[in-house]
Amino acid sequence: MNAIEIKGLCKNFKEKQAVNGLNMTVPVGAIYGFIGENGSGKSTTEKLICGLIHPTSGSIKLFGKNYMDDGVKAQMSVLIESPGCFPGLSVWDNMMLQASNLRLPNAEKEVIKVLKTVRMEGAAGNKFKNCSLGMKQRVGIAMALLGSPKLLILDEPINGLDVDGMRIMREVLVDIASGGATILISSHVLGELEKVATHYGIIRHGKMIREMTAAELEASCRTYIALQTKEMSKAKNLLGCRYSRVEEDESGNIRVYDLTTPEEIVTYLYENGICVTEIKTDKIGLEEYYIDLMKEGK
Amino acid sequence: MERELHFENPSFYKRLKGMLGVDFYRLFHTPLFFIFIAIAAIIPAMVSCLTMMPDRSGNVMEPLYSNVWQIIAASEPLYVIRTISDYANMNMVFIFGGIMVSIFIGHDYRSGYVKQLFTTHAKKMDYMISKTISCAFAIVCMCASYFIGGTIGGLIAGYDTAVNVGSLLVAVLGKMVLSLGWASLFTFINVILRKQFGVSIASSFFFGTGILIIGVAAVVEALSLPTAFLNLFLYGASVNACLISGFGAFITCIVVSLAWTLIYNLLGTWILSRSDVY
Repeated sequence: MNAIEIKGLCKNFKEKQAVNGLNMTVPVGAIYGFIGENGSGKSTTEKLICGLIHPTSGSIKLFGKNYMDDGVKAQMSVLIESPGCFPGLSVWDNMMLQASNLRLPNAEKEVIKVLKTVRMEGAAGNKFKNCSLGMKQRVGIAMALLGSPKLLILDEPINGLDVDGMRIMREVLVDIASGGATILISSHVLGELEKVATHYGIIRHGKMIREMTAAELEASCRTYIALQTKEMSKAKNLLGCRYSRVEEDESGNIRVYDLTTPEEIVTYLYENGICVTEIKTDKIGLEEYYIDLMKEGK
Repeated sequence: MERELHFENPSFYKRLKGMLGVDFYRLFHTPLFFIFIAIAAIIPAMVSCLTMMPDRSGNVMEPLYSNVWQIIAASEPLYVIRTISDYANMNMVFIFGGIMVSIFIGHDYRSGYVKQLFTTHAKKMDYMISKTISCAFAIVCMCASYFIGGTIGGLIAGYDTAVNVGSLLVAVLGKMVLSLGWASLFTFINVILRKQFGVSIASSFFFGTGILIIGVAAVVEALSLPTAFLNLFLYGASVNACLISGFGAFITCIVVSLAWTLIYNLLGTWILSRSDVY
């Protein structure tokens, strides 16, 4: 069964088409990384899934049921943009209010549990408005975890989190998913997303341009050979004459994407009077894969 | 290990109880409610006392009221006012109430709470009902506060205290009963204008003044309809609950309040269900 199944979803805001015939399939238990540029329609899609806005056309099914089904909605939790907390109330009060809305039987225990999970138990008495951005984001995550939801939708949850916060977030996501819950998570921090996601969906101009599993991503990520020499520009020119795709990356390495071996490159450069100081074989990550895909589209 | 997928539909009672819990908790744990309770008490006390104070030349203006209880309700049902004293009675609570409801509901949207709420099992109708009940409670408390403030102010000012207790009770309880209808009106206004915080406050103020009754009164007069027709409206029924009212006026208040509550709740639910919430 799929946790989320979307077919031909469209959403128009006056003249702007935010989501344009989107198809999406999120299997149960997946951590689904939802990726796209700013304004590509990620947040709109998430708002549509959780019923905050109405679709212009198309269908959304959650666990095989209509997305507006009360029973399904009762099992869904959301953190979109920022946590919906009253600034004048304490973190604890805000958590308890959400627990009250959810009619949790052991509200206090549950709130303590989720606050501990995001390491916020010490700040429960703080007024929400006095919390830092990272703390607010943790509260939002804690709030989303209340009631052990079966479907968790997180929009940019690691915004504002420090290194420790990101690590906690990873642990929490993996832990929840291992319990059978499904997580849809959108983020621009692709390096972090890559560490946890089991599935990916890449959206552009409101359309899903690619959906794949982490294994498929791994298989489709090209390998390359990165090298350093003392004469970088000369080496780059030489390699450019022999290989079809030679680029310089952000760290100043020369990358050769063609099918070849480090030995062959070292020998070739050595024969042309250039000594290679460092060479390694690597694979492009999600971030580069995504950038490549976006370039292709353009 | 995969958990068993079991979806339980929470009952209306459970949903509403949870939502009311949140609304009442907010009422009692934020200053807004208490500020408006204080305003509701201070305004009538000030109005009655200040008009009795002499100016620099020692002249005292003509008293606004002749009787303490005129601060609470008009001495007769005047739908179109002649003097400010015809207007300055407990009906003013609905103006303060409108502003309070706008701020209260406005915070739901500004804080993002509705986003948190409507992504759970909460229904749009639950929201309307919960807001109407909690805001009606707040307005009833403001009525009580106004009654206390107005009575004390009137006694300090030395107004006459003679009154038909039954009519006074009908007037006070009638206005309190009408708080439900007013709260549903303000909730409805704020649902429509949820994205314009300032406009929603101004609109609640405008409707709270009951000024539209002047237009309705003109129509009633033009069509030669009985004046009692005006009692079908919230402000008309509020005016009708005065110091000469009988039990019938109280029944009118109950019926009018419930009818408008139903209408506004249904309309509000309909609008919320058909528009993007956040």
